[in-house]
Amino acid sequence: MSCGQVSNGLDRRTLLAAGGVLAAAGATGVASARILPSAMVPLIGPGYRPVDADERGMWQQMTRVEEEIAGSNLVVQDPALASYMQGLIAKVGGPAAKDFRIYLVRIPDFNAVMFPTGFAVIFTGLLLRMRNEAQLTGVIAHEAAHFLRKHQIRQYRDTRTKSDVFAVLAMSAGIAGGAAGVNTGDLAQLGQLGTILSLLRYNRVLEAEADAMGVRLLAEAGYDPRAMAETWQQLIAEEKLSAKYRRKRRRRDISLFGTHPTPESRMADLRISAAEVTRPGVFYDARRASYLAAIGKIRPTLLDDQVKLNDPGASQYIVNNLAQDGWNGLLRFHEGEIWRLRNRAGDDVRAAQGYASAVLYPDAPADAWRWHGIMLSKAGRRTEARAALSRYLMMAPNAPDAAFVRQMLVS
Amino acid sequence: MKSVHGLGVALALMTLPACSGVGGGGSGFGISNYTLIRARETSVGNGSLRVTPPREWNRQRGQLFVDIREVEDWTQNGPLLDGISFVTGLKSGDTLVRQTRRDDRQVPKFRSNMTAPEITAMLESLFRVRGGTVDFKTLGLAPRPFLGQAGFQFDYEHLDSDEVWRRGRAVGATVDGRLYLILLDAARAHYFDSTLPDFEAITFSARKVR
Repeated sequence: MSCGQVSNGLDRRTLLAAGGVLAAAGATGVASARILPSAMVPLIGPGYRPVDADERGMWQQMTRVEEEIAGSNLVVQDPALASYMQGLIAKVGGPAAKDFRIYLVRIPDFNAVMFPTGFAVIFTGLLLRMRNEAQLTGVIAHEAAHFLRKHQIRQYRDTRTKSDVFAVLAMSAGIAGGAAGVNTGDLAQLGQLGTILSLLRYNRVLEAEADAMGVRLLAEAGYDPRAMAETWQQLIAEEKLSAKYRRKRRRRDISLFGTHPTPESRMADLRISAAEVTRPGVFYDARRASYLAAIGKIRPTLLDDQVKLNDPGASQYIVNNLAQDGWNGLLRFHEGEIWRLRNRAGDDVRAAQGYASAVLYPDAPADAWRWHGIMLSKAGRRTEARAALSRYLMMAPNAPDAAFVRQMLVS
Repeated sequence: MKSVHGLGVALALMTLPACSGVGGGGSGFGISNYTLIRARETSVGNGSLRVTPPREWNRQRGQLFVDIREVEDWTQNGPLLDGISFVTGLKSGDTLVRQTRRDDRQVPKFRSNMTAPEITAMLESLFRVRGGTVDFKTLGLAPRPFLGQAGFQFDYEHLDSDEVWRRGRAVGATVDGRLYLILLDAARAHYFDSTLPDFEAITFSARKVR
């Protein structure tokens, strides 16, 4: 589902930009026609290779970028998860199903990007936010559609024919930087790769095409096609809550090109398209169980990476959104963590309550017991604190802070 | 705390495209960003702490709008490779760096009733929020006296968005409700080990003067 605004996928931060466009479109009464999923046929076949000079040049450079990314130590080394995601793109990859590559990178932002040569980079922050396999596959299907519809080269030509010298210059600079291996975590912030990503932002028509085709690919693979609209809805709500916690409005800066569909209108179009591709009598699945089986092992890490950024509005939204499928010890623990890190007056009590309720669940992580114990100890409830900390040490005897916790027990 | 990784690296990376002199010396106007620290007792931060380095170090100039009075950063080979930061009496309710109330992601405030695990979690968030850290591992947390108080030693390592693994050690204590802390953060390959003896000597030499 990418590219919102930007480049790559639903970059949470840039999504906002669309807010301003919404207002503008409303004021001028400009409306663009929805692109029909049925019109979205792949423009390439299996084993596609570039044909003309432009595209060959672009492929050559992107091959170097891919080598850099593949060798980056930000790539999550988890063969089982990698093959799971590879399997998903194979399901929605149309004729190019066997040609795609996916790299999962350890960056706690909501983002995904398809590169012109058919490799996709997915951020761990995206995996965290997906409730089920249908949602994740929806994002992947949208990204696959960019490749199947040759969007990168179409956008490149469009940009060039507009003699946007700056864009073209920036592009070559960006690729050089990417090939030189300069990466920083927040890909949006990152100078060089960021330039590449910004080149991969698509215009409104191309985004709408990828949405329409993504919905269709998703339904054809047997997933509930409404998942894509849900993802948008989650993003918008997360942004709103994040801004509210910092006592500000959702960002409203106008996007660079000012041509992108707003999140709200994209969500609306996605809903209509989903209804259009739904065939009566067919069972569409969200496949939540298989999603959890695949990401269950790294979910604690994903939550940790997000919550420790101390963006309480966004984190709380994410936790509550995941909890729609049922609260558990892990989610309750992170609820406590959000308050502890926010650390305003009264938050210590909220945090303590979060930990206390986390440990009531059988799946409470060891850390929940540790923090429960620390909070009890601060509240002067020493006997209970001792019991909780002992439980922590029992669950995690080799914890790196065991020496400190043992001292807490004796003092 | 602009230090590697607190801020030094984050800022260095941000300015990377603009000026190629990352971590380089001068500002271009004849004013150096660094001043020499001699191998003798010297006062750091807001002056409430004195330490004696075993050899010469370089003090980084604090950055307006970013650094606070209670924090001072030193480096041996530039902030991307190594740094020692001093926190000298951070007040309850303050943060290790300046930030605006509206930043989405914020470094948590220090509170005088924080336990060591809470202080170290605050440091972890500093790295994640301001240093571009994507992976952070606690290697150890153990009691260790500091400035004559019951303090702690925190060992950790982190992978940053520039794809470098860094390793750190922080020794700290809360004294009269204020946080005192000395922190070494350096590239895990070579630089951490080569600056650790200095860090230990500096930490042992630390004394509070007011």
